[in-house]
Amino acid sequence: MRGANTALGAAGLAGFLALWEAVPRLGLVKDDYFPPVSRVAGALATELGDEAFWTALGDTLTGWAVGLAIAVTAGILAGVVIAVVPHLRAATASTIEFLRPIPSVALIPLAVLLYGTELRSVLLLVVYASFWQILVQTLYGVQDVDPVAEETARSYGLGPWARVRHVLWPTALPYVMTGVRLAAAVALILAVTAELVIGAPGLGQRIAVAQTSQAVPEMYALVVVTGVLGLLINVGARTVERRALAWHQSVRGEVTV
Amino acid sequence: MRRLLIGLAAGTLFVAATACGSSGSSGTDSASGTTTLKIGVIPIVDVAPMYLGQKKGFYSERGLKLEPTLAQGGAAIVPGVISGQFDFGFSNMTSLLVARSKNMPVKAVVNGVASTGKEGADFAEIAVKKGSPLKSAKDLEGKKVAANTLGNICDTSVNESVRKAGGDPSKVEYVEMPFDQMPAALDKGQVDAACVVEPALATIKSQGGTVLASNFVDVSPDLTVAMYFTSQQYAQKNPELVKKFQEATAESLKYADSHPDEVREIITTYTKIPDSLLKTLVLPRWPAEPDRASIERLAELGQQDGLFEKAPDLDKLLP
Repeated sequence: MRGANTALGAAGLAGFLALWEAVPRLGLVKDDYFPPVSRVAGALATELGDEAFWTALGDTLTGWAVGLAIAVTAGILAGVVIAVVPHLRAATASTIEFLRPIPSVALIPLAVLLYGTELRSVLLLVVYASFWQILVQTLYGVQDVDPVAEETARSYGLGPWARVRHVLWPTALPYVMTGVRLAAAVALILAVTAELVIGAPGLGQRIAVAQTSQAVPEMYALVVVTGVLGLLINVGARTVERRALAWHQSVRGEVTV
Repeated sequence: MRRLLIGLAAGTLFVAATACGSSGSSGTDSASGTTTLKIGVIPIVDVAPMYLGQKKGFYSERGLKLEPTLAQGGAAIVPGVISGQFDFGFSNMTSLLVARSKNMPVKAVVNGVASTGKEGADFAEIAVKKGSPLKSAKDLEGKKVAANTLGNICDTSVNESVRKAGGDPSKVEYVEMPFDQMPAALDKGQVDAACVVEPALATIKSQGGTVLASNFVDVSPDLTVAMYFTSQQYAQKNPELVKKFQEATAESLKYADSHPDEVREIITTYTKIPDSLLKTLVLPRWPAEPDRASIERLAELGQQDGLFEKAPDLDKLLP
Protein backbone atom coordinates (compact mmCIF):
# COMPACT_ATOMS: atom_id res chain seq x y z
CA MET A 1 0.00 0.00 0.00
CA ARG A 2 2.74 2.35 1.07
CA GLY A 3 4.86 1.45 -1.95
CA ALA A 4 1.97 2.09 -4.30
CA ASN A 5 1.42 5.50 -2.76
CA THR A 6 5.05 6.42 -3.20
CA ALA A 7 4.96 5.27 -6.81
CA LEU A 8 1.84 7.33 -7.46
CA GLY A 9 3.41 10.35 -5.80
CA ALA A 10 6.55 10.02 -7.90
CA ALA A 11 4.48 9.62 -11.06
CA GLY A 12 2.52 12.75 -10.21
CA LEU A 13 5.69 14.72 -9.67
CA ALA A 14 7.24 13.42 -12.89
CA GLY A 15 4.09 14.39 -14.76
CA PHE A 16 4.22 17.88 -13.31
CA LEU A 17 7.88 18.33 -14.25
CA ALA A 18 7.22 17.05 -17.78
CA LEU A 19 4.38 19.53 -18.13
CA TRP A 20 6.63 22.34 -16.87
CA GLU A 21 9.26 21.39 -19.43
CA ALA A 22 6.73 21.14 -22.25
CA VAL A 23 4.69 24.31 -21.74
CA PRO A 24 7.52 26.79 -22.47
CA ARG A 25 9.07 24.50 -25.11
CA LEU A 26 5.80 24.35 -27.04
CA GLY A 27 5.64 28.12 -26.92
CA LEU A 28 2.45 28.27 -24.82
CA VAL A 29 4.24 30.81 -22.61
CA LYS A 30 7.40 32.67 -23.56
CA ASP A 31 10.44 30.91 -22.14
CA ASP A 32 11.93 34.34 -21.38
CA TYR A 33 9.43 34.67 -18.56
CA PHE A 34 8.80 31.02 -17.74
CA PRO A 35 11.87 28.95 -18.52
CA PRO A 36 11.59 25.15 -18.88
CA VAL A 37 12.38 23.10 -15.80
CA SER A 38 15.72 21.93 -17.18
CA ARG A 39 17.04 25.49 -17.28
CA VAL A 40 15.69 26.21 -13.81
CA ALA A 41 17.38 23.05 -12.55
CA GLY A 42 20.67 24.29 -14.01
CA ALA A 43 20.24 27.61 -12.21
CA LEU A 44 19.38 25.73 -9.02
CA ALA A 45 22.59 23.72 -9.25
CA THR A 46 24.58 26.96 -9.58
CA GLU A 47 22.72 28.41 -6.58
CA LEU A 48 23.50 25.37 -4.43
CA GLY A 49 27.19 25.86 -5.16
CA ASP A 50 27.08 29.49 -4.01
CA GLU A 51 28.00 30.21 -0.41
CA ALA A 52 25.76 33.29 -0.35
CA PHE A 53 22.78 31.06 -1.05
CA TRP A 54 23.36 29.04 2.11
CA THR A 55 23.74 32.21 4.16
CA ALA A 56 20.43 33.42 2.76
CA LEU A 57 18.82 30.07 3.56
CA GLY A 58 20.17 30.31 7.10
CA ASP A 59 18.78 33.85 7.47
CA THR A 60 15.34 32.74 6.32
CA LEU A 61 15.32 29.72 8.63
CA THR A 62 16.46 31.87 11.56
CA GLY A 63 13.63 34.33 10.97
CA TRP A 64 11.19 31.46 10.67
CA ALA A 65 12.37 29.52 13.74
CA VAL A 66 12.77 32.45 16.10
CA GLY A 67 9.47 33.98 15.01
CA LEU A 68 7.64 30.69 15.38
CA ALA A 69 9.19 30.03 18.80
CA ILE A 70 8.06 33.43 20.07
CA ALA A 71 4.58 32.99 18.61
CA VAL A 72 4.16 29.48 20.03
CA THR A 73 5.33 30.47 23.51
CA ALA A 74 3.29 33.65 23.64
CA GLY A 75 0.25 32.09 21.99
CA ILE A 76 0.05 29.14 24.37
CA LEU A 77 0.69 31.19 27.50
CA ALA A 78 -1.80 33.88 26.51
CA GLY A 79 -4.32 31.29 25.34
CA VAL A 80 -4.28 29.28 28.57
CA VAL A 81 -4.41 32.37 30.79
CA ILE A 82 -7.24 33.96 28.82
CA ALA A 83 -9.22 30.72 28.68
CA VAL A 84 -8.84 29.93 32.38
CA VAL A 85 -9.89 33.37 33.62
CA PRO A 86 -13.53 33.84 32.49
CA HIS A 87 -13.58 37.63 32.79
CA LEU A 88 -10.40 37.94 30.79
CA ARG A 89 -11.93 35.89 28.03
CA ALA A 90 -14.97 38.16 27.80
CA ALA A 91 -12.79 41.24 27.94
CA THR A 92 -10.44 40.15 25.14
CA ALA A 93 -12.77 38.32 22.75
CA SER A 94 -13.74 41.33 20.64
CA THR A 95 -10.20 42.71 20.59
CA ILE A 96 -8.86 39.37 19.36
CA GLU A 97 -11.51 39.20 16.67
CA PHE A 98 -10.58 42.73 15.64
CA LEU A 99 -6.81 42.20 15.50
CA ARG A 100 -6.76 38.70 14.07
CA PRO A 101 -7.93 39.46 10.52
CA ILE A 102 -5.44 42.31 10.03
CA PRO A 103 -3.03 40.93 7.44
CA SER A 104 0.52 40.84 8.71
CA VAL A 105 1.83 42.44 5.51
CA ALA A 106 -0.13 45.57 6.40
CA LEU A 107 2.40 46.05 9.19
CA ILE A 108 5.31 46.33 6.73
CA PRO A 109 5.52 50.14 6.90
CA LEU A 110 5.56 49.94 10.69
CA ALA A 111 8.24 47.23 10.63
CA VAL A 112 10.42 49.30 8.28
CA LEU A 113 10.04 52.37 10.44
CA LEU A 114 10.88 50.52 13.65
CA TYR A 115 13.59 48.13 12.56
CA GLY A 116 14.58 48.90 8.95
CA THR A 117 15.71 45.82 7.09
CA GLU A 118 16.89 43.94 10.18
CA LEU A 119 15.84 40.50 11.32
CA ARG A 120 13.54 42.15 13.85
CA SER A 121 11.23 43.51 11.16
CA VAL A 122 10.89 39.98 9.79
CA LEU A 123 10.12 38.75 13.29
CA LEU A 124 7.45 41.39 13.78
CA LEU A 125 5.54 40.12 10.74
CA VAL A 126 6.14 36.44 11.42
CA VAL A 127 5.11 36.63 15.06
CA TYR A 128 2.02 38.71 14.34
CA ALA A 129 0.81 36.28 11.69
CA SER A 130 1.46 33.03 13.54
CA PHE A 131 0.54 34.16 17.05
CA TRP A 132 -3.20 34.26 16.30
CA GLN A 133 -3.20 30.74 14.85
CA ILE A 134 -1.84 29.37 18.10
CA LEU A 135 -3.84 31.61 20.39
CA VAL A 136 -7.18 30.80 18.81
CA GLN A 137 -6.46 27.05 18.70
CA THR A 138 -5.42 27.13 22.34
CA LEU A 139 -8.61 28.95 23.26
CA TYR A 140 -10.73 26.35 21.45
CA GLY A 141 -8.72 23.55 23.00
CA VAL A 142 -9.22 24.80 26.53
CA GLN A 143 -12.91 25.32 25.87
CA ASP A 144 -13.17 21.66 24.90
CA VAL A 145 -12.26 20.44 28.40
CA ASP A 146 -14.89 17.97 29.61
CA PRO A 147 -16.69 19.62 32.59
CA VAL A 148 -17.20 16.19 34.20
CA ALA A 149 -13.48 15.46 34.04
CA GLU A 150 -12.75 18.91 35.42
CA GLU A 151 -15.24 18.45 38.29
CA THR A 152 -13.89 14.97 38.99
CA ALA A 153 -10.35 16.31 39.22
CA ARG A 154 -11.58 19.05 41.51
CA SER A 155 -13.39 16.63 43.82
CA TYR A 156 -10.27 14.46 44.01
CA GLY A 157 -8.56 17.51 45.38
CA LEU A 158 -6.28 18.36 42.47
CA GLY A 159 -4.85 21.88 42.71
CA PRO A 160 -5.03 24.43 39.88
CA TRP A 161 -1.61 23.54 38.46
CA ALA A 162 -2.34 19.79 38.59
CA ARG A 163 -5.67 20.36 36.82
CA VAL A 164 -3.95 22.35 34.06
CA ARG A 165 -1.35 19.59 33.79
CA HIS A 166 -3.64 16.51 33.86
CA VAL A 167 -6.98 17.71 32.54
CA LEU A 168 -6.66 20.92 30.57
CA TRP A 169 -3.39 20.32 28.76
CA PRO A 170 -4.15 16.82 27.40
CA THR A 171 -7.46 18.10 26.05
CA ALA A 172 -5.98 21.23 24.53
CA LEU A 173 -2.83 19.66 23.10
CA PRO A 174 -4.35 18.30 19.85
CA TYR A 175 -5.78 21.76 19.13
CA VAL A 176 -2.49 23.45 20.01
CA MET A 177 -0.59 21.08 17.75
CA THR A 178 -2.89 21.88 14.84
CA GLY A 179 -2.23 25.54 15.57
CA VAL A 180 1.52 24.97 15.59
CA ARG A 181 1.38 23.13 12.27
CA LEU A 182 -0.63 25.92 10.65
CA ALA A 183 1.58 28.58 12.22
CA ALA A 184 4.75 26.88 10.97
CA ALA A 185 3.59 27.22 7.37
CA VAL A 186 2.32 30.78 7.85
CA ALA A 187 5.60 31.78 9.52
CA LEU A 188 7.59 30.63 6.49
CA ILE A 189 5.33 32.53 4.10
CA LEU A 190 5.67 35.71 6.14
CA ALA A 191 9.43 35.34 6.57
CA VAL A 192 9.92 35.08 2.80
CA THR A 193 7.41 37.87 2.13
CA ALA A 194 9.14 40.22 4.55
CA GLU A 195 12.49 39.57 2.89
CA LEU A 196 10.98 40.01 -0.54
CA VAL A 197 9.19 43.27 0.21
CA ILE A 198 11.36 44.91 2.86
CA GLY A 199 14.70 43.57 1.69
CA ALA A 200 15.75 41.88 4.93
CA PRO A 201 18.50 39.35 4.20
CA GLY A 202 17.30 35.88 3.20
CA LEU A 203 15.89 33.86 0.33
CA GLY A 204 13.16 36.43 -0.33
CA GLN A 205 15.72 39.17 -0.85
CA ARG A 206 17.66 36.89 -3.17
CA ILE A 207 14.50 36.31 -5.19
CA ALA A 208 13.97 40.06 -5.40
CA VAL A 209 17.55 40.67 -6.55
CA ALA A 210 17.23 37.97 -9.21
CA GLN A 211 13.95 39.54 -10.31
CA THR A 212 15.34 43.08 -10.64
CA SER A 213 18.38 41.65 -12.42
CA GLN A 214 16.20 39.98 -15.07
CA ALA A 215 17.74 36.65 -14.04
CA VAL A 216 14.56 34.66 -14.60
CA PRO A 217 15.79 31.03 -14.23
CA GLU A 218 17.59 31.93 -10.96
CA MET A 219 14.41 33.52 -9.68
CA TYR A 220 12.35 30.39 -10.32
CA ALA A 221 15.12 28.23 -8.85
CA LEU A 222 14.84 30.18 -5.60
CA VAL A 223 11.06 30.01 -5.68
CA VAL A 224 11.36 26.23 -5.97
CA VAL A 225 13.66 26.24 -2.93
CA THR A 226 11.05 28.07 -0.86
CA GLY A 227 8.46 25.55 -2.02
CA VAL A 228 10.62 22.62 -0.96
CA LEU A 229 11.25 24.37 2.34
CA GLY A 230 7.51 24.67 2.90
CA LEU A 231 7.10 20.99 2.14
CA LEU A 232 9.84 19.98 4.58
CA ILE A 233 8.41 22.21 7.29
CA ASN A 234 4.99 20.64 6.83
CA VAL A 235 6.43 17.12 7.03
CA GLY A 236 8.41 18.12 10.10
CA ALA A 237 5.40 19.68 11.79
CA ARG A 238 3.34 16.55 11.14
CA THR A 239 6.06 14.38 12.64
CA VAL A 240 6.22 16.53 15.76
CA GLU A 241 2.44 16.44 15.97
CA ARG A 242 2.35 12.66 15.72
CA ARG A 243 5.01 12.27 18.39
CA ALA A 244 3.40 14.71 20.78
CA LEU A 245 -0.01 13.09 20.34
CA ALA A 246 1.17 9.47 20.26
CA TRP A 247 -1.19 8.73 23.17
CA HIS A 248 -4.19 10.39 21.52
CA GLN A 249 -6.87 8.29 19.89
CA SER A 250 -6.70 10.21 16.60
CA VAL A 251 -3.07 9.22 16.13
CA ARG A 252 -3.32 5.74 17.68
CA GLY A 253 -6.27 5.06 15.43
CA GLU A 254 -4.23 5.93 12.38
CA VAL A 255 -1.46 3.54 13.34
CA THR A 256 -3.60 0.45 14.01
CA VAL A 257 -5.55 0.60 10.77
CA MET B 1 5.09 17.08 28.87
CA ARG B 2 8.36 17.72 30.67
CA ARG B 3 10.19 17.61 27.38
CA LEU B 4 7.78 20.11 25.92
CA LEU B 5 8.28 22.46 28.85
CA ILE B 6 12.06 22.17 28.50
CA GLY B 7 11.70 22.91 24.79
CA LEU B 8 9.61 25.98 25.47
CA ALA B 9 12.02 27.24 28.08
CA ALA B 10 14.96 26.70 25.74
CA GLY B 11 13.07 28.50 22.98
CA THR B 12 12.40 31.46 25.21
CA LEU B 13 16.04 31.64 26.26
CA PHE B 14 17.14 31.46 22.64
CA VAL B 15 14.80 34.29 21.73
CA ALA B 16 16.02 36.40 24.61
CA ALA B 17 19.61 35.74 23.61
CA THR B 18 19.04 36.71 19.98
CA ALA B 19 17.17 39.82 21.01
CA CYS B 20 20.14 40.91 23.10
CA GLY B 21 22.60 39.97 20.40
CA SER B 22 20.97 42.01 17.68
CA SER B 23 20.82 45.22 19.63
CA GLY B 24 23.77 47.55 19.47
CA SER B 25 24.91 46.17 16.14
CA SER B 26 25.12 49.65 14.67
CA GLY B 27 28.75 50.34 13.89
CA THR B 28 30.64 53.16 15.55
CA ASP B 29 34.23 54.03 16.18
CA SER B 30 36.24 51.06 17.23
CA ALA B 31 39.79 50.92 18.48
CA SER B 32 41.11 50.66 14.94
CA GLY B 33 39.49 53.99 14.04
CA THR B 34 37.31 52.49 11.34
CA THR B 35 33.68 53.55 11.19
CA THR B 36 31.09 51.26 9.69
CA LEU B 37 28.41 53.06 7.72
CA LYS B 38 25.11 51.40 6.93
CA ILE B 39 23.98 52.35 3.46
CA GLY B 40 20.48 51.64 2.19
CA VAL B 41 20.69 50.91 -1.53
CA ILE B 42 18.67 49.21 -4.26
CA PRO B 43 20.38 46.36 -6.09
CA ILE B 44 20.70 48.22 -9.40
CA VAL B 45 23.40 49.36 -11.79
CA ASP B 46 23.28 52.94 -10.42
CA VAL B 47 25.11 52.16 -7.19
CA ALA B 48 28.00 50.29 -8.84
CA PRO B 49 30.51 53.10 -8.13
CA MET B 50 30.01 52.64 -4.39
CA TYR B 51 30.85 48.94 -4.61
CA LEU B 52 33.76 49.71 -6.92
CA GLY B 53 35.07 52.44 -4.62
CA GLN B 54 34.89 50.06 -1.70
CA LYS B 55 36.91 47.48 -3.65
CA LYS B 56 39.44 50.11 -4.70
CA GLY B 57 39.87 51.22 -1.09
CA PHE B 58 38.59 54.79 -1.54
CA TYR B 59 36.47 54.41 1.58
CA SER B 60 38.86 52.40 3.72
CA GLU B 61 41.71 54.87 3.20
CA ARG B 62 39.44 57.43 4.87
CA GLY B 63 38.64 55.11 7.74
CA LEU B 64 35.20 54.15 6.41
CA LYS B 65 33.78 50.70 6.04
CA LEU B 66 30.56 50.41 4.08
CA GLU B 67 27.82 47.99 4.92
CA PRO B 68 25.44 48.18 1.98
CA THR B 69 21.98 46.88 2.82
CA LEU B 70 19.85 45.95 -0.14
CA ALA B 71 16.43 47.44 0.36
CA GLN B 72 13.69 46.49 -2.00
CA GLY B 73 12.71 49.78 -3.57
CA GLY B 74 13.23 53.30 -2.37
CA ALA B 75 10.15 53.07 -0.18
CA ALA B 76 12.15 51.43 2.58
CA ILE B 77 15.19 53.67 2.21
CA VAL B 78 13.85 57.15 3.03
CA PRO B 79 12.10 56.09 6.28
CA GLY B 80 15.12 53.90 7.05
CA VAL B 81 17.48 56.87 6.88
CA ILE B 82 15.16 59.21 8.78
CA SER B 83 14.64 56.72 11.58
CA GLY B 84 18.39 56.07 11.76
CA GLN B 85 18.38 52.46 10.55
CA PHE B 86 20.71 53.52 7.76
CA ASP B 87 23.39 56.21 8.01
CA PHE B 88 23.10 56.99 4.31
CA GLY B 89 20.72 56.04 1.56
CA PHE B 90 20.41 56.21 -2.21
CA SER B 91 17.30 57.73 -3.71
CA ASN B 92 16.07 59.36 -6.88
CA MET B 93 15.85 63.16 -6.87
CA THR B 94 12.08 63.40 -7.14
CA SER B 95 11.61 61.26 -4.03
CA LEU B 96 14.04 63.52 -2.17
CA LEU B 97 12.25 66.65 -3.44
CA VAL B 98 8.90 65.25 -2.33
CA ALA B 99 10.32 64.32 1.07
CA ARG B 100 11.85 67.79 1.45
CA SER B 101 8.59 69.50 0.45
CA LYS B 102 6.90 67.57 3.26
CA ASN B 103 9.60 68.89 5.60
CA MET B 104 11.09 65.47 6.13
CA PRO B 105 14.66 66.07 7.34
CA VAL B 106 16.53 64.60 4.37
CA LYS B 107 19.85 66.05 3.26
CA ALA B 108 21.50 65.09 -0.02
CA VAL B 109 25.24 64.75 0.49
CA VAL B 110 26.85 63.60 -2.73
CA ASN B 111 25.95 62.92 -6.33
CA GLY B 112 24.52 59.53 -7.21
CA VAL B 113 23.86 59.03 -10.88
CA ALA B 114 23.14 61.14 -13.95
CA SER B 115 21.58 60.77 -17.38
CA THR B 116 23.99 60.01 -20.22
CA GLY B 117 22.47 62.97 -22.05
CA LYS B 118 22.43 60.97 -25.27
CA GLU B 119 19.08 60.87 -27.01
CA GLY B 120 18.16 57.22 -27.57
CA ALA B 121 21.14 55.91 -25.61
CA ASP B 122 20.31 56.61 -21.99
CA PHE B 123 20.02 54.14 -19.12
CA ALA B 124 16.34 55.03 -18.76
CA GLU B 125 14.02 55.31 -21.74
CA ILE B 126 10.43 55.25 -22.88
CA ALA B 127 10.43 51.88 -24.62
CA VAL B 128 7.88 50.21 -26.89
CA LYS B 129 7.72 46.66 -28.14
CA LYS B 130 8.83 45.42 -31.53
CA GLY B 131 6.57 46.67 -34.29
CA SER B 132 4.72 49.18 -32.11
CA PRO B 133 2.65 51.71 -34.07
CA LEU B 134 3.80 54.50 -31.72
CA LYS B 135 6.35 56.76 -33.38
CA SER B 136 6.90 59.67 -31.01
CA ALA B 137 6.13 60.70 -27.45
CA LYS B 138 3.10 62.62 -28.77
CA ASP B 139 1.52 59.27 -29.69
CA LEU B 140 1.38 58.37 -25.98
CA GLU B 141 -1.83 60.43 -25.67
CA GLY B 142 -4.60 58.07 -24.65
CA LYS B 143 -2.13 55.20 -24.23
CA LYS B 144 -1.07 53.16 -21.22
CA VAL B 145 2.44 53.81 -19.98
CA ALA B 146 4.09 51.73 -17.26
CA ALA B 147 5.90 53.62 -14.49
CA ASN B 148 7.58 52.01 -11.49
CA THR B 149 6.05 54.48 -9.02
CA LEU B 150 3.22 56.88 -9.73
CA GLY B 151 3.78 60.51 -8.84
CA ASN B 152 7.52 60.22 -9.17
CA ILE B 153 10.42 60.77 -11.55
CA CYS B 154 9.04 58.46 -14.24
CA ASP B 155 5.74 60.19 -14.87
CA THR B 156 7.05 63.76 -14.48
CA SER B 157 9.84 63.11 -16.98
CA VAL B 158 7.61 61.21 -19.43
CA ASN B 159 5.12 64.10 -19.21
CA GLU B 160 7.94 66.42 -20.27
CA SER B 161 8.77 64.19 -23.24
CA VAL B 162 5.13 64.26 -24.33
CA ARG B 163 5.00 68.04 -23.94
CA LYS B 164 8.19 68.50 -25.93
CA ALA B 165 6.77 66.37 -28.73
CA GLY B 166 3.71 68.63 -28.82
CA GLY B 167 1.32 66.34 -26.98
CA ASP B 168 -0.92 66.72 -23.94
CA PRO B 169 0.54 64.81 -20.99
CA SER B 170 -2.78 64.84 -19.10
CA LYS B 171 -4.10 62.35 -21.68
CA VAL B 172 -1.46 59.75 -20.83
CA GLU B 173 -2.62 56.93 -18.61
CA TYR B 174 0.05 55.71 -16.21
CA VAL B 175 0.08 52.20 -14.81
CA GLU B 176 2.18 51.34 -11.78
CA MET B 177 4.37 48.26 -12.14
CA PRO B 178 7.88 47.18 -11.12
CA PHE B 179 10.58 47.67 -13.76
CA ASP B 180 11.29 43.97 -14.00
CA GLN B 181 7.72 43.18 -15.05
CA MET B 182 7.66 45.76 -17.82
CA PRO B 183 9.21 43.61 -20.60
CA ALA B 184 6.49 40.98 -20.17
CA ALA B 185 3.74 43.60 -19.88
CA LEU B 186 4.86 45.27 -23.11
CA ASP B 187 5.03 41.89 -24.79
CA LYS B 188 1.51 40.98 -23.78
CA GLY B 189 0.17 44.39 -24.71
CA GLN B 190 -0.94 45.22 -21.17
CA VAL B 191 0.80 48.56 -21.63
CA ASP B 192 1.69 50.43 -24.82
CA ALA B 193 4.95 51.90 -23.57
CA ALA B 194 7.13 51.74 -20.49
CA CYS B 195 9.33 54.14 -18.57
CA VAL B 196 12.04 51.60 -17.92
CA VAL B 197 15.63 51.47 -16.66
CA GLU B 198 18.47 48.99 -17.08
CA PRO B 199 18.64 45.98 -17.02
CA ALA B 200 14.95 45.58 -17.94
CA LEU B 201 15.58 48.03 -20.79
CA ALA B 202 18.25 45.70 -22.20
CA THR B 203 15.77 42.82 -22.02
CA ILE B 204 13.22 44.82 -24.03
CA LYS B 205 15.86 45.75 -26.62
CA SER B 206 17.03 42.13 -26.87
CA GLN B 207 13.47 41.20 -27.84
CA GLY B 208 13.39 43.76 -30.62
CA GLY B 209 11.79 46.58 -28.64
CA THR B 210 12.76 50.14 -29.48
CA VAL B 211 13.19 53.50 -27.78
CA LEU B 212 10.40 56.01 -28.31
CA ALA B 213 11.95 58.94 -26.44
CA SER B 214 14.57 59.65 -23.80
CA ASN B 215 12.59 61.06 -20.92
CA PHE B 216 15.54 61.97 -18.68
CA VAL B 217 17.34 63.73 -21.53
CA ASP B 218 14.13 65.63 -22.26
CA VAL B 219 14.15 67.04 -18.72
CA SER B 220 17.81 68.01 -18.96
CA PRO B 221 20.79 66.42 -20.73
CA ASP B 222 22.72 66.63 -17.47
CA LEU B 223 19.86 65.44 -15.28
CA THR B 224 20.94 64.40 -11.81
CA VAL B 225 18.73 61.35 -11.42
CA ALA B 226 19.61 60.22 -7.91
CA MET B 227 21.82 61.16 -4.96
CA TYR B 228 23.15 59.70 -1.75
CA PHE B 229 21.51 61.34 1.23
CA THR B 230 21.37 61.26 4.99
CA SER B 231 19.16 62.76 7.68
CA GLN B 232 19.65 66.28 8.97
CA GLN B 233 20.26 65.00 12.48
CA TYR B 234 22.98 62.66 11.27
CA ALA B 235 24.61 65.39 9.18
CA GLN B 236 24.64 67.75 12.15
CA LYS B 237 26.03 65.15 14.53
CA ASN B 238 28.66 63.70 12.20
CA PRO B 239 29.96 66.45 9.90
CA GLU B 240 33.35 64.74 9.64
CA LEU B 241 31.90 61.40 8.58
CA VAL B 242 29.62 63.07 6.05
CA LYS B 243 32.61 64.90 4.58
CA LYS B 244 34.65 61.71 4.33
CA PHE B 245 31.76 59.85 2.75
CA GLN B 246 31.31 62.72 0.29
CA GLU B 247 34.96 62.71 -0.73
CA ALA B 248 35.24 58.94 -1.02
CA THR B 249 32.02 58.68 -3.04
CA ALA B 250 33.01 61.53 -5.36
CA GLU B 251 36.30 59.75 -6.01
CA SER B 252 34.44 56.47 -6.64
CA LEU B 253 32.05 58.18 -9.07
CA LYS B 254 34.94 59.68 -11.01
CA TYR B 255 36.73 56.35 -11.13
CA ALA B 256 33.61 54.47 -12.24
CA ASP B 257 32.94 57.00 -14.98
CA SER B 258 36.29 56.30 -16.59
CA HIS B 259 36.42 52.52 -16.01
CA PRO B 260 33.24 51.06 -17.53
CA ASP B 261 34.71 47.55 -17.79
CA GLU B 262 35.41 47.42 -14.08
CA VAL B 263 31.88 48.70 -13.46
CA ARG B 264 30.38 45.86 -15.47
CA GLU B 265 32.49 43.44 -13.51
CA ILE B 266 31.53 44.76 -10.07
CA ILE B 267 27.83 44.63 -10.97
CA THR B 268 28.01 40.82 -11.01
CA THR B 269 28.99 40.83 -7.33
CA TYR B 270 25.74 42.30 -6.01
CA THR B 271 23.18 41.64 -8.76
CA LYS B 272 22.42 38.54 -10.79
CA ILE B 273 22.27 40.27 -14.15
CA PRO B 274 22.96 37.58 -16.79
CA ASP B 275 26.09 37.97 -18.94
CA SER B 276 24.09 38.42 -22.13
CA LEU B 277 22.41 41.56 -20.72
CA LEU B 278 25.47 42.81 -18.86
CA LYS B 279 27.39 43.27 -22.12
CA THR B 280 24.66 45.30 -23.81
CA LEU B 281 23.24 47.43 -21.02
CA VAL B 282 23.75 51.18 -21.18
CA LEU B 283 25.70 52.51 -18.22
CA PRO B 284 24.62 55.84 -16.74
CA ARG B 285 27.02 58.72 -16.19
CA TRP B 286 28.57 59.29 -12.78
CA PRO B 287 29.75 62.89 -12.49
CA ALA B 288 31.25 63.74 -9.11
CA GLU B 289 29.02 66.80 -8.66
CA PRO B 290 25.23 67.11 -8.93
CA ASP B 291 23.85 69.46 -11.57
CA ARG B 292 21.81 72.05 -9.71
CA ALA B 293 20.11 73.53 -12.76
CA SER B 294 18.73 70.13 -13.75
CA ILE B 295 17.41 69.54 -10.22
CA GLU B 296 15.69 72.94 -10.32
CA ARG B 297 14.06 71.90 -13.58
CA LEU B 298 12.94 68.62 -12.01
CA ALA B 299 11.45 70.55 -9.07
CA GLU B 300 9.58 72.85 -11.47
CA LEU B 301 8.16 69.88 -13.33
CA GLY B 302 7.17 68.20 -10.08
CA GLN B 303 5.33 71.34 -9.05
CA GLN B 304 3.66 71.56 -12.45
CA ASP B 305 2.48 67.95 -12.11
CA GLY B 306 1.24 68.59 -8.58
CA LEU B 307 3.69 66.33 -6.74
CA PHE B 308 4.15 69.15 -4.24
CA GLU B 309 2.34 72.42 -3.72
CA LYS B 310 5.31 74.53 -2.77
CA ALA B 311 8.69 74.17 -4.45
CA PRO B 312 11.03 72.45 -2.01
CA ASP B 313 13.91 74.48 -0.60
CA LEU B 314 16.91 73.29 -2.60
CA ASP B 315 19.36 75.10 -0.35
CA LYS B 316 18.23 72.92 2.52
CA LEU B 317 18.31 69.76 0.44
CA LEU B 318 21.53 70.02 -1.56
CA PRO B 319 25.03 69.88 -0.10
